[in-house]
Amino acid sequence: MIQTKNLSKLYGNFKAVDRVDLNIPAGEIYGFLGPNGAGKTSTIMMILGIIKPSDGEIFLFNEKYTPNRLDLRKRIGVVPEKHPTGMWTWMTGFEYMAMFAEFFGLKNSKERIKHLLSQVDLLEVGNKKIAEFSRGMLQKLSIVRALLHDPDILFLDEPISGLDPIGIKQIRDLILAENREGRTIFISSHLLSEMEKICHRVAIIFRGRLMAEDKMSALLAKLAKDREIHIDLESIPSQLSDQIKTFPFVLDSMEQDNTLIIKVSKEGDYRKPISEYLIKKNLIPLRIEEKSLSLEEAFVTITRDNVQMFTGFPLSEGGKQ
Amino acid sequence: MKKVLILLLFLIVLAAIYADVPVRKEQFIYSVMAFNGKDYAGTFAGEDSDAIYLIANVDNFISARKTFVYFWPITADWKTDTSALNQAFEGTLELKGKNIEPQTISAMKYTYFNVRGEYELNWKVAKGEEADKAWEHYQSLVDAYWKASSEHRQSQMVFEMMMNELTKQITRLREGGKDISELLEKLKGLKSPEPPQPPKDYIMPPGPVQKAFILNLPVGEYRIRFIYEDGSVMEGSDRKVVVFEKRRSEGIGFEVIPGDKWTRPVESKTPSSVLYVDGTTDLYLRPFFQIEFNDLFYEKMRKNDSKGNPNLMKWVRIQQVPKARIEISDSSGKSGWIMEEPFYVEQIKGSALGYKIVPYDPEGVHKDRDPSLKAFYIPIQEGASVIRLRVQDKNGLDLSGSSRQIRVVSEPRFKILLLLLSLLPLVVLAVVWTRRSRKYTP
Amino acid sequence: MSDRINAAKVIAKRKIFETIINPGFYIVQTIGLLLGYFLITRFVQSIDSSGFNFQLNPVYDLIGRSLEGALGATFIDKLFSEGPFLFALYVSFIPAFLYLSVSSVFKFGLEKKIGALELITYGPADGTSYFMGSFARDVLITVLYILVLVVFFGIAAALNNLVLGPMFLYSLVLIFFISLAIYAYGILASVLTDNAASSIALFLGALIFFLIIMFGSFTIVSGYVRNLSNVIAWIIKWLSPFFYWDLGLRAVESGNSLFFLLSLFLLLLLSGIILLISHLTLNARGVRS
Repeated sequence: MIQTKNLSKLYGNFKAVDRVDLNIPAGEIYGFLGPNGAGKTSTIMMILGIIKPSDGEIFLFNEKYTPNRLDLRKRIGVVPEKHPTGMWTWMTGFEYMAMFAEFFGLKNSKERIKHLLSQVDLLEVGNKKIAEFSRGMLQKLSIVRALLHDPDILFLDEPISGLDPIGIKQIRDLILAENREGRTIFISSHLLSEMEKICHRVAIIFRGRLMAEDKMSALLAKLAKDREIHIDLESIPSQLSDQIKTFPFVLDSMEQDNTLIIKVSKEGDYRKPISEYLIKKNLIPLRIEEKSLSLEEAFVTITRDNVQMFTGFPLSEGGKQ
Repeated sequence: MKKVLILLLFLIVLAAIYADVPVRKEQFIYSVMAFNGKDYAGTFAGEDSDAIYLIANVDNFISARKTFVYFWPITADWKTDTSALNQAFEGTLELKGKNIEPQTISAMKYTYFNVRGEYELNWKVAKGEEADKAWEHYQSLVDAYWKASSEHRQSQMVFEMMMNELTKQITRLREGGKDISELLEKLKGLKSPEPPQPPKDYIMPPGPVQKAFILNLPVGEYRIRFIYEDGSVMEGSDRKVVVFEKRRSEGIGFEVIPGDKWTRPVESKTPSSVLYVDGTTDLYLRPFFQIEFNDLFYEKMRKNDSKGNPNLMKWVRIQQVPKARIEISDSSGKSGWIMEEPFYVEQIKGSALGYKIVPYDPEGVHKDRDPSLKAFYIPIQEGASVIRLRVQDKNGLDLSGSSRQIRVVSEPRFKILLLLLSLLPLVVLAVVWTRRSRKYTP
Repeated sequence: MSDRINAAKVIAKRKIFETIINPGFYIVQTIGLLLGYFLITRFVQSIDSSGFNFQLNPVYDLIGRSLEGALGATFIDKLFSEGPFLFALYVSFIPAFLYLSVSSVFKFGLEKKIGALELITYGPADGTSYFMGSFARDVLITVLYILVLVVFFGIAAALNNLVLGPMFLYSLVLIFFISLAIYAYGILASVLTDNAASSIALFLGALIFFLIIMFGSFTIVSGYVRNLSNVIAWIIKWLSPFFYWDLGLRAVESGNSLFFLLSLFLLLLLSGIILLISHLTLNARGVRS
């Protein structure tokens, strides 16, 4: 659905994007991660045809894409990070949606506009001027605007940034619902926990280079060096932590209030031997939870520590490798 | 600090004083006698002048001189003081141009004059020997006139003496109670000698023969410089010569003389222009031929240091349209032809002062007087709104560019209505806002 | 192509609507018409038995003396030879024209800066659709305002026994065509710069530069300065809309219809070339600030 080959962008001598290859199949929710200045926005802007690549190719719907391919652009919906309604604040929500419906030459768009606005609870305020909309309302309006022409691919740049929990849930549900209908979704966000909940696959870009791209579980598994087992007890007897450390698979152990945190190597499930040991000692585990690496932790791992692992050579200052 | 300020103030005052003092400086100049379409007029190109402007294909006269040049602040222009210094240089003029071979022009004797004809302008230039002949011919006419005048004065004296003698005799005889009928008959038979007429061939007679470089050039840009007799070039004598021509001559202008300001006529030169008048008085018109020239070139040709607008063309009055007639029509479609008529300006007696223009009556009240003006009379009737004019020449042909409208406009009318109209956009804005807020107020 | 045209139409429609509901346009229209009203009524007050005499009214005296000093008596003669409407037309047109052109440039810059332009180009539109829409708005609103002026001046003429005059009518056509070229320059200025402030600075700077060049050769100046200005003007004039405007006025003055049409065509051509350059520049630079 979306494919880039050797995609690069140079600003003078600075490599903003360096030979990025993406391949996103239809129907996937794809997360695109990277710290500020990593080349994330440049990559998206090239895919959207806003900036010209210095090198490489872009394929959308298996066709080579250039900015002049307005026919391909018509099949894309974009939710930019900032909702630029500043110039249209004199319009009402309906008028705003109607303008974009006209852009796409949509006939009888009234019902679709109403349907989309109702999905994000904006139908009631459709006759209000945009100037009166809150940030959350604007974000929701932006998303339904991007869905107006029923695009095959939806690009979302920080779609839930700045929203309250209810708003986040509404957007998350909407994204998942749109994906269930077969829409390919490309999300760029810094809210990694949300990405973890939504995305099928993620890619991590750092200093212009694609550091990792895989399914969420595989990526985490690949990155995880060790895991933690968290066990809640009524009380923790003294020296229990040291006794636990005698197990060969235990790397470390510590106490935190009534929780015993045991670090184990990533291979194998060690919950059973540990719980059996505790029961023998008449200690009843109230909760046993195995915690794997979060996406956030993986992101930090990749971008700070594991550069060499992924690239084969150490990262020097300024991204020059 | 204070001292510096005082010094500065002193310098400013000094600068202001000296700025006002006309500078009188000995300069090399080109004295130019250029034909301006109507007649010859003199100007000069001093040291600061970069170019001389001339009309194409007519004789223009240029001479190289040394004189005093000064700025005259009252009229804000540069003048020459030839009474103090007027030294003509002997030598030749070198002329160069893009489309001509370099020429060396020698000074030539010349005179120019305007002979009387059907039209006002019949300028002739006599050069070389012809100039001497023309001047001599005119001198002979003047001499003959003076001779005839002298003889006329003698005859007049004889006539007056005879008149006096006869009058005395008649008085004496009448006092003696004698018959005077014979002497009276004799007195009646005495005729005053006819005074001689001055030379009538000229509107402008030839002047004394002078020497100058005669430039008669086609349109273009040239360069001139003065060469001394020894072949050396005079420093600072290099000038550009801009030779230009008329753009159009198909234009008729009108001299407009309002009945209440006959000494202050105005001119309507732009074809298709409208003459707006307040309708308080009748108008007297005089159509004239005009030619269109570049404003800057023409002004600089007339007076080298004057200003003009290089991007505009101006109409220049040339001469009256002889034996013309004007068709006037009003807004109702009524039309008629009017001819040029003589008028006489009569002073109003009594405390009212002022004057009135009346038809000239040569046989009646205006006997032995000349008419004050000859013009086409346009009555401006009360309530008249538009009068349309066009001029035909003596052959009955419409003269191009002679159409004009005279519109009577007094006070601005319907001011309030116009003011309200100009505020209408604000009313529309109020309506738009009301409609929009009504539509979208939740 | 049809997508682009459709997008341009949609943008133009919205921009026209925005202009119509915005007080700015009505205010400048009112200012323009009030200036026109003022000039017409004062013109009538400056007429006496021998015709129009600008010295009779203090306002016209001031205007007349200023213009005469700068541009010469011939200019004044020609300007008022048919009545007050030629001068009033230019004076009344300028506020609305400046408002339209500057607001377009300002909005283009602002919309580019805040990403609104980018948002439009995510769909079946591009920067060219946007500026064509903006250009269409300027053109149509200008036509509307010219019609308003014609109606207003027509009524003023009829009520006061004045005539609009052929120069006025030709000038109407000319100011419309010169507006096209100036709006096109506004677009180019917006395309070349990254924000609204620099767009306006570049646009107004270019206009002032063209005016200086034109008036440099137009005003009464000494031979040296005029020659120098003529040389510069000769080079720049081909880019200046005012050159073609002057050409058109001269053609009207000399009654040369062919030259008048040629000047209109050249203004149209100039507008087209500038829009084409804007299109190519926008393609090369992108819609992002």
